[in-house]
Amino acid sequence: MQTTFQGLFHTLIGASHLNSGTVCQDSSDFQATEHYAIAVVADGHGSKKHFRSDVGSRLAVEAAVAAVSQYYTDPELFEETICEDPERVIRNIEKNIIARWDQAVHTHFREHPFTPEEQRPFTETEFAKLKLEAVYGTTLIIGVIGSCFTFGMQIGDGSLVIIEEDAMADMPIEDDETAPANVTASLCNSYAIDMFRSFFLPDKALAVFVSTDGLYTSFRSTDDFLDYHSIIASRLEKPEAFDRIVKRNLEKRTHFGTQDDISLSCAWDVEIMRNSLDALRQQVERNKMLAPLREAEHKARLQRQHEQRMRLIGEETQQ
Amino acid sequence: MSEAMENAMANNDMLLDELDDDDPLNATGVSRKSLVIFFLIDTSGSMKGTKMGELNTVMEELIPEIRRVGEADTDVKVAVLTFSSRVMWMYSEPIAIEDFEWTRLRADGVTSMGAAFKELSIRMSRNSFLNSPTLSFAPVIFLMTDGYPSDDYKAGLEALQKNTWYKYGLKTALGIGKEANDDMLAEFTGSRDTVVHAYSGGQLAHLIKIIAVTSSQIGSKSMTLADSDHELGMEDVYEAKQKMLGQQIQEIVKSEGFDNTIPFDTGW
Repeated sequence: MQTTFQGLFHTLIGASHLNSGTVCQDSSDFQATEHYAIAVVADGHGSKKHFRSDVGSRLAVEAAVAAVSQYYTDPELFEETICEDPERVIRNIEKNIIARWDQAVHTHFREHPFTPEEQRPFTETEFAKLKLEAVYGTTLIIGVIGSCFTFGMQIGDGSLVIIEEDAMADMPIEDDETAPANVTASLCNSYAIDMFRSFFLPDKALAVFVSTDGLYTSFRSTDDFLDYHSIIASRLEKPEAFDRIVKRNLEKRTHFGTQDDISLSCAWDVEIMRNSLDALRQQVERNKMLAPLREAEHKARLQRQHEQRMRLIGEETQQ
Repeated sequence: MSEAMENAMANNDMLLDELDDDDPLNATGVSRKSLVIFFLIDTSGSMKGTKMGELNTVMEELIPEIRRVGEADTDVKVAVLTFSSRVMWMYSEPIAIEDFEWTRLRADGVTSMGAAFKELSIRMSRNSFLNSPTLSFAPVIFLMTDGYPSDDYKAGLEALQKNTWYKYGLKTALGIGKEANDDMLAEFTGSRDTVVHAYSGGQLAHLIKIIAVTSSQIGSKSMTLADSDHELGMEDVYEAKQKMLGQQIQEIVKSEGFDNTIPFDTGW
């Protein structure tokens, strides 16, 4: 079955990076064929020892696109295989991405050896201890919509949101508990294959969004974050016009939010999106009504807790 | 909320409105970076009287003080865990400092510090107390106790030490009176420099304020761009912040002239 996919993607440099004159470490891409669409983002670590992570994130995005493309060389066979054993196939794709990225990193290094300027911040001993892959360290998040399924994978922080045909937004990949604020799993890790998290949905999603953590961290709550994706999905009928608005909004988010780089890439099925437009718009309206209710309910719950505790203390004092 | 923070927020709101009135994506607001301060407070029977009275009073006064500590672009949240015979959170989640209402505590029972450590290790998780998207800094964890734990604190501490948030958190401890054990508190914070002692009600109030405010200020510092060309890694940031906290606390203690040799509880 042939389908038509569309997509959009943006990478915005963070306000903090602009202020300090450092480069953007995010990368993003979207590609589509008649059989599948892939949305991908990567967030280079950016700290001292990851001084080429801007290149690393670009290579990771390229590796992901190439790996999925390779698996789709025979679309029918791939679709049959992944539906039979999604876990095994997704793990193989992850291995393929790691191998491609690793190779690309070594090639880049061979062609661009470290410069004296890059070595300057380190002592000789520190520099000798650096692992080449770590210099290019990055996260990676990939979402793919196929002919009758959706899957995704990620290593490190960042988010993947799917909008299903019923217009509901969901984050199917669980949080990485081993990664507290600003500490993340990485493609450069020796055990990277065990750090990937993934999902497989035996249905074709309306849209899949992937984003680096700079976007998620600019929201007050996960509900707001999901609502944001519903709004975008409800406006994709005229993507050219809305693309500019998305970019402007991402600019605002990095400026007024956590000031980190932000990447967002999105793929959607044009036909499902058209058929679900009413449901999407209704969902956005529902979300608009629910948001203040959620807030009020939250405040009321905290007030109840405070009053209960006061009562408890009062009772204990009387005893 | 400080005037600077209010102005910054008002400016942000104004600029956001100016940027794109017709942007439907404005329906979901933009939030700033946030920091959670965990207070672990011993409410065992030995804290009865002046100690608990002082602590309640200073914590009530402290909330407005902490509102001013975050940099203008940082939201501060507070979570309070009390431990005696039972372990209890004041609220079921970290509360934005603007909304926080202190509930006066009372002292009773034994010192289940190990159980408190275990509880903290469970709650310091993306699936629990640290689920806010805006969480951008490792938490500040402030322990206050006047005695030796009555349970197996080492088992609790072991569980806590496996928690990555604890590992990168900014830890500090206040021993109240001579029964509080510095070695044990240093085990919790990872350094003796971040452990101090209060021997009187006045010292207790003063030290709680200074430590809470100082650790929150350091905790909410953005230190990722300290190098000229490169950001620092999380481990570098943690080490730098913990060291800075230790130095500042020791400097404060020295400059205030607190004498650690004052006999037990003479001031209570």
